[in-house]
Amino acid sequence: MIEKKNEHIKAGLMFASPGLFFFAMVVLIPFFYGFYLTLTNWNGVVNEKTFVGLSNYIITINDPEFWNSMLLTLKYVVWVVLLVNIIGFVLGYLLTNGLKGQNFFRSGFFTPNLIGGIVLGFIWEFLFSRVFVAIGKSSGFESLTSSWLSSPDTAFWALVIVTVWQLVGYMMLIYISGFTSMSRDVLEAASIDGATGLRKVKDVIFPLMMPSVVICTFLTLQRAFMVYDINLTLTNGGPFKSTVLVAMHVYDKAFTERLYGIGQAEAIFLFLVVAIISVIQVKTGRSREVEA
Amino acid sequence: MKKVLSLILVLSLVATSVFAGGENEESSQDTEVGTKISFLNSKGEIQIALEKMAEAYQAETSNEVEILSCGAGEIPYTKVTTLYNSGNAPTLSMLDPTDIYALYDTYALDLSNEKWVSEVGSNALSIDNKVYAYPFCVEGRGIIYNGDAINETLNRDVDMSSINSVEKFGALLKELRANGMEYPVFLAKEDWSLGAHQLGYLYDSYENSADELNKELRAGYDAKNDEKFNQLIDTLDLEIEYNYFHNDPLGADYDEGAMLLADGTVAFWANGSWAWPNMAEGGAQASANFGFLPFFLGNDTSYFANTKIQASPSKFVIIDGAQASQEEQEAAKEFLNWLVYSETGQEMFVNEAALISAAKNNAVPQSNPLSQDIVEKLANNNTYYLPGFAAPSDHWSVMGAAMQKYVAGVSNRDELAMSFDKYWEKQQ
Repeated sequence: MIEKKNEHIKAGLMFASPGLFFFAMVVLIPFFYGFYLTLTNWNGVVNEKTFVGLSNYIITINDPEFWNSMLLTLKYVVWVVLLVNIIGFVLGYLLTNGLKGQNFFRSGFFTPNLIGGIVLGFIWEFLFSRVFVAIGKSSGFESLTSSWLSSPDTAFWALVIVTVWQLVGYMMLIYISGFTSMSRDVLEAASIDGATGLRKVKDVIFPLMMPSVVICTFLTLQRAFMVYDINLTLTNGGPFKSTVLVAMHVYDKAFTERLYGIGQAEAIFLFLVVAIISVIQVKTGRSREVEA
Repeated sequence: MKKVLSLILVLSLVATSVFAGGENEESSQDTEVGTKISFLNSKGEIQIALEKMAEAYQAETSNEVEILSCGAGEIPYTKVTTLYNSGNAPTLSMLDPTDIYALYDTYALDLSNEKWVSEVGSNALSIDNKVYAYPFCVEGRGIIYNGDAINETLNRDVDMSSINSVEKFGALLKELRANGMEYPVFLAKEDWSLGAHQLGYLYDSYENSADELNKELRAGYDAKNDEKFNQLIDTLDLEIEYNYFHNDPLGADYDEGAMLLADGTVAFWANGSWAWPNMAEGGAQASANFGFLPFFLGNDTSYFANTKIQASPSKFVIIDGAQASQEEQEAAKEFLNWLVYSETGQEMFVNEAALISAAKNNAVPQSNPLSQDIVEKLANNNTYYLPGFAAPSDHWSVMGAAMQKYVAGVSNRDELAMSFDKYWEKQQ
């Protein structure tokens, strides 16, 4: 009996060890090393690291700028998650209903996701600050006559729009696979029972799509919380630091202000916030899943 | 269990052989091409020129120099510390003075005995009487003017050297407006331009030592009641009043500004000699009448800041003393000597990179009007700067944001002064 158990462990280790090895190398070790750095006043350069206890955490808790950018990020995440998933869901629904040219539309909507965030940010920066302004000036369309990136409110929405534009195609694909694997029999049965339109979507399709919704929400949450590339190239935190999302704040703290320990402590807070929200989201989402 | 252990062993063997394989390949290449070194470039606009220079250097010496670039939006300091921490330190790194002060102790090689030290004189960056970095180039900044556009608009030849106070600058702007150039100024929105360069005149024009300035700033500065701070903001106010992008000051696009100045739509742009590549791309001709006015501080026409322009060594190159081999360090020194002394190096430095050498032995004539103007002013002792002063690393970003607020009309002069005081208060 014991021998058999040992065999199991051996087999398990054999399959898991390569993965575990790399997981440890790129995730676990850096994570714990990073945690260790939060307890020091390292500036990223010198060899000696003085132990400072929990003072970096206390500084972080008392840093209003960090919490402001955390709040801004939460606002950004809420909008991105809502818009990406609603639009992705609707697109997925429309593009599985035999619409003419649906394959063309599918690849069209997916394409932005293939462009890296850095390039995407530059493209949209040019559009917002040059192209839209030129269109606004020639057409007299008031809200486009000045660059959206030059005032805090519109710059925030520019960030949301570009992120949604980038992510929606990816989520649409996941929703499409959800829709296509949905049992036709259940839908037919619902129709025979008289469910139509919104009622059918709300009470039949949506519960059956819950696994896709959970995955998509999780992916969008995680991507939106950690966004840095678009933030950097589209607004660069501007105008006057009004769109510094939390990842950028962490980066600036560690590398521009050269306070590595504090930056790392802020990153731990960010990790906790994302972890807690993700766990809650997955748990509540899972509990609503039904089987056909 | 043995099986598992042997598996891990095999895996690690595979891993080491893969990495070792990489190294072997490199070292076998080394013997063919001489020593291979790397150079971290933090001046994006000369990346191509530097690559060409590295090619020319290789053709002459068989040493290979790989030019590493700092990507868009990447901070040189971040890049260099990442490279050091990952064990891939560049043999030569081009950095700003503030970075050198942070890094020299841990990483930089002492270059005091290099031959070029005598050529660069006081331009070298020395700390505790040791030279740690080669001053890569001299750059100047002020208010760039398009003389042809001004003369054409006013229908007369304006003697630009007669503009030597805020009052006279304001009068010229007014006259341009009256003659049809309604908004003659391009005011860039970039935080580094506003926070480091425009606000920087306050520090550059300081008349005592850098140490004293540091003390004064940290001792509780009262910008609101400071004469020079107010003079600086007076000039900024003129820029704001005559700003081409007056409707949307933070929508001012840098490249568009270069084009507007090049084609004479605007006549002034507070910027530096590094703007030439952008202006040339925007259509500016090297034969045209471009030059620098000082960034005016008040109305005293005998005040040096109103007659001279700021010019100083601006990028410094350190040689890695921590990770590079002796051979690589020697090759790096040789590359610097090649830049300073070889005919090709001197010629390419001026004509390919369009830079002003900090070494006085480089007599190759400048090819663009902005550099020509600075070289002329340097020769006539018409430049100034405060040696040894480096603002904290986040100064450009924090004060840049405060300046953007002011330019956009979101904050007033008192609030800007308060941000200034607060920033320095935090730097204890």
